[in-house]
Amino acid sequence: MTSDPRTDDSRVADENIDDRPALRSPASQHPPQTGEAVLTKRGERAERSAATAFFVSMLGALGLAVVYWEGGQPQLEGILLAVALGGIGTGIVLWAKHFMPSDEVEEDRHPLESTEEVMEAYATDFEAGESSLRSRRLLIATGGGACAALGLAVLFPIRSLGPRPGRDLKRTPFAEGNLRVVREDGSPIRPENLPDDGFVTAWPDGHTDAADAPTLLIRLREDQEFRPREGREDWTVDNVVAFSKLCTHAGCPVGLYQAEIGQLLCPCHQSTFDVLDSCRPIFGPAARSLPQLPLALDREGYLIATGDFSDPTGPGFWDRDR
Amino acid sequence: MATTETPDTAERPPAAPTGRPDRRTGRRKGPEKLLTHRAARWVDTRLGTANLARTALNKVFPDHWSFMIGELALYCFVVLLLTGVYLTFFFDPSTELTTYTGSYEPLQGVEMTRAYASSLDLSFDVRAGLVMRQIHHWAALLFVASIVVHLARVFFTGAFRKPRELNWVIGVLLLILAIFNGLFGYSLLDDQLSGTGLRIIYSITLSVPVVGTWAASLLFGGEFPGPDIIERLYVIHILLVPAIIVVLLTAHLAIIVRQKHTQFPGPGRREDNVVGERMWPTYAAKALGLFFLTGAVLAFLGGVFQINPIWLYGPFEPADVSSASQPDWYMGWLDGALRIMPGWEVRAFGYEVPNPFFPGVLLAGLTFGLLFAWPFLEARVTGDHAHHHLDDRPRQRPVRTALGVATLTFYVILFLGGAADVLAQTFGLSVNALLWTFRFAVLLAPPLTGWVAYRLCKELSARDGVPTASQVRVRDIPRRLRHGKAADEAPDEESPAPAPAEMS
Amino acid sequence: MSIRPSGRRARVLALALPVAAAVALTPVMAGAQEPTGAPGERPGSASSTEPTDEELLARGQQLYTTGCVTCHGADGGGRRDGPDGELRGPTLENAGEAAAYYYLSTGRMPLANSEEQPNRKEPAYNDDEIDALVAYVASLGDGPDLPEVDVAAGELPAGGEIYRQNCQQCHQASGSGGALSYGRAAPNLHPADPAEIAAAVRVGPNQMPVFGPEFISDSELDDLIRYVEYLDDPADPGGVPIGRTGPIPEGFVAWIVGMVALLVLTSWIGTRAAIRRKGHP
Repeated sequence: MTSDPRTDDSRVADENIDDRPALRSPASQHPPQTGEAVLTKRGERAERSAATAFFVSMLGALGLAVVYWEGGQPQLEGILLAVALGGIGTGIVLWAKHFMPSDEVEEDRHPLESTEEVMEAYATDFEAGESSLRSRRLLIATGGGACAALGLAVLFPIRSLGPRPGRDLKRTPFAEGNLRVVREDGSPIRPENLPDDGFVTAWPDGHTDAADAPTLLIRLREDQEFRPREGREDWTVDNVVAFSKLCTHAGCPVGLYQAEIGQLLCPCHQSTFDVLDSCRPIFGPAARSLPQLPLALDREGYLIATGDFSDPTGPGFWDRDR
Repeated sequence: MATTETPDTAERPPAAPTGRPDRRTGRRKGPEKLLTHRAARWVDTRLGTANLARTALNKVFPDHWSFMIGELALYCFVVLLLTGVYLTFFFDPSTELTTYTGSYEPLQGVEMTRAYASSLDLSFDVRAGLVMRQIHHWAALLFVASIVVHLARVFFTGAFRKPRELNWVIGVLLLILAIFNGLFGYSLLDDQLSGTGLRIIYSITLSVPVVGTWAASLLFGGEFPGPDIIERLYVIHILLVPAIIVVLLTAHLAIIVRQKHTQFPGPGRREDNVVGERMWPTYAAKALGLFFLTGAVLAFLGGVFQINPIWLYGPFEPADVSSASQPDWYMGWLDGALRIMPGWEVRAFGYEVPNPFFPGVLLAGLTFGLLFAWPFLEARVTGDHAHHHLDDRPRQRPVRTALGVATLTFYVILFLGGAADVLAQTFGLSVNALLWTFRFAVLLAPPLTGWVAYRLCKELSARDGVPTASQVRVRDIPRRLRHGKAADEAPDEESPAPAPAEMS
Repeated sequence: MSIRPSGRRARVLALALPVAAAVALTPVMAGAQEPTGAPGERPGSASSTEPTDEELLARGQQLYTTGCVTCHGADGGGRRDGPDGELRGPTLENAGEAAAYYYLSTGRMPLANSEEQPNRKEPAYNDDEIDALVAYVASLGDGPDLPEVDVAAGELPAGGEIYRQNCQQCHQASGSGGALSYGRAAPNLHPADPAEIAAAVRVGPNQMPVFGPEFISDSELDDLIRYVEYLDDPADPGGVPIGRTGPIPEGFVAWIVGMVALLVLTSWIGTRAAIRRKGHP
């Protein structure tokens, strides 16, 4: 009978009279015993503790069942489950630490690497098979080509996962032109209804769920001097300014308006924008100003947007500027 | 008979047969007829497993407690699987809109997705649903935490060295998968907080040069929020990633069995042996006990400490956000990196590389890339290509230890950066000042802590009288240990742990 | 000597850490509140003998002269340090009932040093005095009145939606407050009573924007206030709420309570009970 030296330590040791007792089979060191063992004092204590732990666990499990039956309560469920599991765990660990053999034993580490003969035998066997593969060059080329082509072809369904990024990233529904700027519920807004330091989230009319178009309407106070960008001097109505609510850093809504100082703070990464300077970023990781929405009044005195935002809203991407 | 080594039992009386008495002869049958033996025989007749089983029973495990930290991660994973299956019976990943009619009054009549509504139902209207959800979430936090502590143990003891580089790589993969699965898991509930996180993930994906817009659109099914993301994350979270984790975990454990675990140097412990406890019954019992105790800790956390109170956050709305929005702790370093990064972007020829790319993609890639490469890097720098089965004590490898401490410091500071607004509000500080402090700290503190660690290692080593790695010269190392062949001759006499070439 | 902790004592001590943390965290993080001001009452609602309007105004003016005029100037016109100097106190002309009530009953005014940020503290005046001052300030101009609030009539779900759309970005989803720039903060809402909340919404004190009745109507304000009051003591079915500020405290608990407990247990299991070693090499 051949024995594999790598898995057979104890059997090999059995056959040699070895002066290292630890390598002998465990069976000879700890012959299977049945019948009552005599315990030391500490052993008795440990056995009592372990038995108690198991018993407490039973109570915990029972309690858990009762709690569940009676309608459940999360804190009790968690605690009782913890007691049930913990009792079993404690009992087993005490059993292991006090009553299971804990002598130090030793096992050989056989070299992981195979011997030279084995490696060569492997190489020979492999090459014997490989030669029939290697010699047929045409088959390798065309076979390989076929697999590569198939591999490429099956990647194509990935395209179905989503639409072409295209223009959507660069335009919002406001691009339709002359859409009213409305509240969440769709009702239009008169600028005079917005008090000084007023701050409202608004949407394109008919598209109050457009995630790229939430707009901040802010009425600045008389004492606040707004500095419009070039070409945008007529984009405000009566001290009411409109900017995209989406942070140009990572797209979070820039919701914290510090009215007294006229600054917008984004809660996600603390980008800060100076509203009076057309929302230029003054702190934090944002690198671009919030896009501005051109406001005007329609014939009935409601706020409208004459066109889309000054730039694509939200965070940047590779071809944003093209 | 042989002496027993069990600590608390004195001599035992000899064995007596205990099987049922034979009907014909009245004699009791020997132990061979006990149930466990009959079962073993039944399996062996069909699979020939007795020898394999015997080897397994006698496997020796080195006995340092820190070697069991990896098991903590394994047990957390088992708890995740068990509680996770339960949750899948109630969770509905659909983004179809519905009106809430459950028992949580402040959200009644509110419009929300089925995903969020089913999560609320789990929390309020499914008996034991909330405790299952909370155990699941705490287990996820502790799963990643255990992996990190385990990784640190392996790193600081040099247990990743040849022949265990492959297992290290598998381990780092497991870490990455655990982090991602946690992120995807808590994003399934479609609450305001996790939805904000998804928005940031979308933006980071978008920021990748050239292919970012395509990647984001394909992953989310369109522009943010995209109609498909929750359902896709669901499949990835409950099926794809757990399956890969199971496969990798199996390989991870199989490699340990094959290579045998490392051990600390000590009396009788050499490169060519393993000294410790046998698998059966002691180690197996301890492992099982640890499993139950881990479950107990997780159950306790799940019942007693509230986690992720989604009913307070409300359903996700793309135009809303709460202050103090952070990801779970294991993503905190990434969030912190995004916050302390100054507002730099690269723009040229009409193209741009936006700001989130640098901390979100580059730093993350660098982090995991370095982690993967470390065993190979260290081997190349030290010129040490020997097999190692003895662990280092961290003080013996001051440079490695210092680099590890510096790296940990770096990520802890990033995590604190991610908590800057919470810290500011709790302690009445300026969030701007905090972020500026962290910008400097993240560059200055790691070298400082690294240097302190280095000096500490040297000091402790000197006190022990054991030379550090750099103090043992290459030519003092037996030739056969220098070039990667395991020792197959009689071992050396007592010598300091054969530590190879210089590391400084 | 080695990584192993030195025995049982170390383990017991180490276990003490998560237990202590758990015990300490429970009251601290179960929604710790700032010291509350005296619960504000609506002007004219508690006094046993109702003063006449003239008496109220006179009293108010008298209090104003002693406590407020140094920064806010005579007749509430505001005051600068010199003709072009720093603004010491803004004009109160359009502050109105609501602003006066808000600042006085939360103790934010009077402010000892005009440089510092007004934070909630014990009000400097009692309810009658506040009534008088409020009446006086209201008489100075044309500012917003204190809104009538009927919390019981408010609807919780509607209030929650309004809160999440308008308030949570500064005050946080559970009302625990949030950091603003350079050390300012949106305060914790738990100590505020309905009248104060109503006043703040209409006045927009300090950095807070103004939410006028065209955008949050009076009945929506009732809904909102009902929800904010709910946040004072929300349902915590999951257990100890650890601050309700999300993953940061949760992460700390995971490490300090969970990971420490697991490592202590592991070290207990892994260390062998002391045994007699028999003749090992």
